[in-house]
Amino acid sequence: MRIPILKLHEYLLITIQVEMDDQTALQFQEDLLNKIHDTGAKGVVIDLTSVDMIDSFIAKVLGDVVRMSKLMGAQVVLTGIQPAVAITLIDLGISMREVSTALDLEQGLDKLRLELEG
Amino acid sequence: MDIQSCVEVRNEWDIVSARQLGRNMAKELGFGNVDQARITTAISELARNIYLYAGRGKICIEPIDQLGKKGLRIIALDNGPGIREIRKVMEDGYTTSGGLGAGLPGVKRLMDEFSIESTVDVGTEISATKWLR
Amino acid sequence: MQGKLDNLIVQMINENQETLKNNWLNEVNIFKEKELAGAITTLKLSEEIDQQFFELLIKHINYHDISKDGTLDQFFDQVLHTGLPLRYLTQGLQAARRVILNLLVETESDKEKLAAVYREIDRWLDPILNRVVENSSQIWERTVSIQKTALLELSAPLIPVFQNISVMPLIGSIDTERAKLIMENLLNGVIKYRSEVVLIDITGVPVVDTMVAHHIIQAADAVRLLGSTCILVGIRPEIAQTIVSLGIDLSQFPTKSTLQKGMENALEITNQQLISNK
Repeated sequence: MRIPILKLHEYLLITIQVEMDDQTALQFQEDLLNKIHDTGAKGVVIDLTSVDMIDSFIAKVLGDVVRMSKLMGAQVVLTGIQPAVAITLIDLGISMREVSTALDLEQGLDKLRLELEG
Repeated sequence: MDIQSCVEVRNEWDIVSARQLGRNMAKELGFGNVDQARITTAISELARNIYLYAGRGKICIEPIDQLGKKGLRIIALDNGPGIREIRKVMEDGYTTSGGLGAGLPGVKRLMDEFSIESTVDVGTEISATKWLR
Repeated sequence: MQGKLDNLIVQMINENQETLKNNWLNEVNIFKEKELAGAITTLKLSEEIDQQFFELLIKHINYHDISKDGTLDQFFDQVLHTGLPLRYLTQGLQAARRVILNLLVETESDKEKLAAVYREIDRWLDPILNRVVENSSQIWERTVSIQKTALLELSAPLIPVFQNISVMPLIGSIDTERAKLIMENLLNGVIKYRSEVVLIDITGVPVVDTMVAHHIIQAADAVRLLGSTCILVGIRPEIAQTIVSLGIDLSQFPTKSTLQKGMENALEITNQQLISNK
């Protein structure tokens, strides 16, 4: 299973709508880094509105993706994290303080634009 | 539905089926969506531990009713290498696999009751309970 | 059989019902005057209840129906609901034990038989006493849990103030259970009102210890995960002092001394301005 990555101007948009198994998560990590390399994208929005669970493994993959993308020159914003998901992450002791977040895709794009242009 | 349901954990996809089973049972028992997420996440952590450290084992989930107090219990069983230093694995940030080290202490925080029994070279049994509020 | 009295004793009790009743009422009245003097309003009411109480005991002695048909349970419930204390029931039962034993002691001189009678009466009365205590503790537990829910519902609403700005005023002490509820209200509210900034006002929280600070930090972290910003306001001087002397690190979060200052900050973040019309 592969998660589709869309390109919009100099941004990449990903909406995760499947229940992620480990393999899908790792595949996504690889695909995204390749896409950043191919397109020279400056910003990435990963929308997690339909994700109903993030365990420590997926949290680690997401955190890694953010750091790796940054190394390649792309800012990442995570959007749409649901309350139940946020609470379980906090219970797990994962606060992802270094990761930038926004309420939804639209605000995520605004945030990127502000960070990259302003 | 008052009998135990189990999922064998042998590969990464079994982790997904274990947590789907947990989510369905939690929903059926009437847990709210935050507790559903807590239970599903706890199952995911336990199933992944089995896959990573023991290779194979099983996750069993059962509804419980103690003196009218209802809840759900997750039991994670494996015949793997066992845990040498239980106190250490219950510390935040301790990891031997390169993960976040949030697994077991995290599960303890996600659930209401937690117990672990492990014998080196024999296996590990972890039991975690969430009560219906 | 449990709860059933020896036939001879039953017979004796029935034959002396009037005497027993008078003795019992005397004992109960002495107790009421001594212990319940404060609750005068309930005294009158309880005379009727005294009669009922005794009749039920006699009925119970004859039919040994403690838990089967529920009449005793009903009576206990009724008594506790009228506001009479649990002590009234326990003392009443103890008094019944005393008056019955007194009567039997007067008529029976054989020591062995007397000991048997004592055991007999205990065996009969103890289950009733247990039942009373059980009943009343159930009523208590129910009341406590209802009050707890009511309290939880009262606490921690998220109030949308301006576009994309909400405030959560926290009042009273914060324990783990309440912290969980606060967190859920906060996060669901952030989604519902699409709040970009949330001000948590702790002016009304009397004590901020490590535990409370920990809960607040967790809430702020969770809010950030959703993509919103959390500003902690209402930090009084003594709270600032305890936070620092406890070594709690709040430097990761914006904090302001008052709600007003926090609001100014929030307007800035959301690119809004208050304009005076004067």
